[in-house]
Amino acid sequence: MQRDVGSLPLAPALRARLVAAGFQTAQELLDTGPCGLSKEIGISKEEALEALQVVRQECHSDATQTAGAPGTSRKCTALELLEQEQAQGFIITFCSALDNILGGGVQLTKITEICGEPGVGKTQLCMQLAVDVQIPECFGGLAGEAVFIDTEGSFMVDRVVDVATACVQHCQLIAEAHQEEDHLKALETFSLESILSHIYYFRCRDYIELLAQVYLLPDFLSEHSKVRLVVIDGIAFPFRHDFEDLSLRTRLLNGLAQQLIIIANDHKAAVVLTNQMTTRIGQSQSTLVPALAAAVPAKEAAIPAGGHCPNLHAG
Amino acid sequence: MAPKKLRRARLSQELCERLSRYQITTCQDFLCLSLLDLMKVTGQSYRNVQKLLCKVSLACAPKMQTAYEMKVRRAVNPSSAFLSTSLHGLDKVLHGGVPCGSLTEITSPPGCGKTQFCIMMSVLATLPVSMGGLDGAVIYIDTESAFSAERLVEIAGNRFPAYFDSDEKLFSMTRSIYLYRELTCGSVLKRIKSLEEEIISKKVKLIIIDSVASVVRKEFDTKLQGNLTERSNFLARGASLLKYLAEEFSIPVILTNQITTWLSNGLAIQADLVSPADDLCLSEGASGGGKRESGSVTAALGNTWSHSVNTRLILQYHDLPTRQILVAKSPVAPFSAFFYTVEKSGFVLQDGKDQTNLTWEGTNPALQNIKP
Repeated sequence: MQRDVGSLPLAPALRARLVAAGFQTAQELLDTGPCGLSKEIGISKEEALEALQVVRQECHSDATQTAGAPGTSRKCTALELLEQEQAQGFIITFCSALDNILGGGVQLTKITEICGEPGVGKTQLCMQLAVDVQIPECFGGLAGEAVFIDTEGSFMVDRVVDVATACVQHCQLIAEAHQEEDHLKALETFSLESILSHIYYFRCRDYIELLAQVYLLPDFLSEHSKVRLVVIDGIAFPFRHDFEDLSLRTRLLNGLAQQLIIIANDHKAAVVLTNQMTTRIGQSQSTLVPALAAAVPAKEAAIPAGGHCPNLHAG
Repeated sequence: MAPKKLRRARLSQELCERLSRYQITTCQDFLCLSLLDLMKVTGQSYRNVQKLLCKVSLACAPKMQTAYEMKVRRAVNPSSAFLSTSLHGLDKVLHGGVPCGSLTEITSPPGCGKTQFCIMMSVLATLPVSMGGLDGAVIYIDTESAFSAERLVEIAGNRFPAYFDSDEKLFSMTRSIYLYRELTCGSVLKRIKSLEEEIISKKVKLIIIDSVASVVRKEFDTKLQGNLTERSNFLARGASLLKYLAEEFSIPVILTNQITTWLSNGLAIQADLVSPADDLCLSEGASGGGKRESGSVTAALGNTWSHSVNTRLILQYHDLPTRQILVAKSPVAPFSAFFYTVEKSGFVLQDGKDQTNLTWEGTNPALQNIKP
């Protein structure tokens, strides 16, 4: 209620006028009422009413935050956080070494970045994850859906069909070995068609389409609430050419990263990005480093040449 | 592919006029601004600006398809998903042949048969669908002046003697192969940009660029400052244009590349180089004294280019006259190798000789050692 007028999300021109007229807190605005406001500032009664509605909504959401309502509360003890994290599911990758290093699999509500040299298997891993997130809960999966944003065009449906078929067979073998009721029931719905129908594919040709798609992603995820995985295959590719203004690029990437973190947290989804490798030429030698490094705070898994065990870089 | 104007994003007229006063006319400019900048520029509240952002994003964002819809579309038209190479073993491993809608690169030392392969694929693309072709025209962009029409006719006549039994058929095949000779990077890029209209008017089903590496390496000496970024820009722009064409029209694009020297331990500056400095693909922490002898050759044009192509086939010498074709990078095929010879009818796979040479041991395709 004591919120400063300058911090309210009103149109800048209106805000400037309010401050110039001497209003200091939101409470003052609410007390004045729309008619008084319109007379003092010189705006129409409808505009004044609209502004007051915005102010009232802002104060209301502030109040619920301080009261500690469960949905909007952002503070809790570290113990609660620990319990939450341990209870969360993982998306397994079917490669036990990788799962062990990642602490059980790809974590929900976190961003994981996969970088590696061309051809080493980044897209393959992403396709695998898009199938694995859909494994029913009785088999140890999350029964979720997947969003696949492709910027490089290397998503091949035939390959996903292969991976999905193998996954279904694997689950069928488990069900046969254990012969439990819920396993067999889950297998009825876990088929090739259902797996493919729950992978939502977007092909972004340049960085504008990618930005637009990420802006629209929260609405999409609210409509499809079962999505537990968002894959962006090739976050580096659209930004690596045609960019003279490097500071703009940094700003856009940081903005993207923040939006992805919010999406990951709000919708309890895992976000997986793939990055390219580039050669950094030093004074006496050159090394391969991930392109666009340090733009995205994420858990990195770098896959060096030969596809041996990955190193984990803490993000 | 020019940025969309805001008018077409269904924003109100007065808003568009107000934005154009700040030089914001395209969706690109709009989406690149931060929220606070947008509030200042549009003069609207936070919530309204978010609604505007959604509106503009809807105009720019791609359409959603589920993987199932993609599969169904493929199933309806199976022959249009791949261009068969008529090499049975290779086709089987690649799930049908050269994939449509993505970039395929052929790389090899000089003289192994890249141009022969390209000429052979041109013939195949003009064949009717019943024979495994795409029944369409071919655009062949030649930067090395290596294309030979006589060889084209020879391959066609020897490979499909039953089909090309009359001169009439041979001529109609040659009429549907459009050859462009481009000698500079700029003209290659211009040609690629003009391809969209030609593909529609001439019903083109295959694009071949032979070779990308020769024209790029002629023009960009990466020892000079600034050339490196220009070269990467050119390659990246070319790759994204070609990808757009490949996907939009669902056609295969074949590019050829050359080889370069790979020095281990990365003493880039000191060594006496065969090729420009940044062509080198360097490994981290590889042992070896950095001597010339311990180097080996690999595909040129650097890492970024290797990321851009979706499939990479490597040709190399085995023991004359046999040569080897490797599937080094492919989203659908494991790493595999086949032996072939180049004969009158083009490529011929050696049957029975190590055909089941499929290894699941990947090696880094960007650093795949090629026998020169």
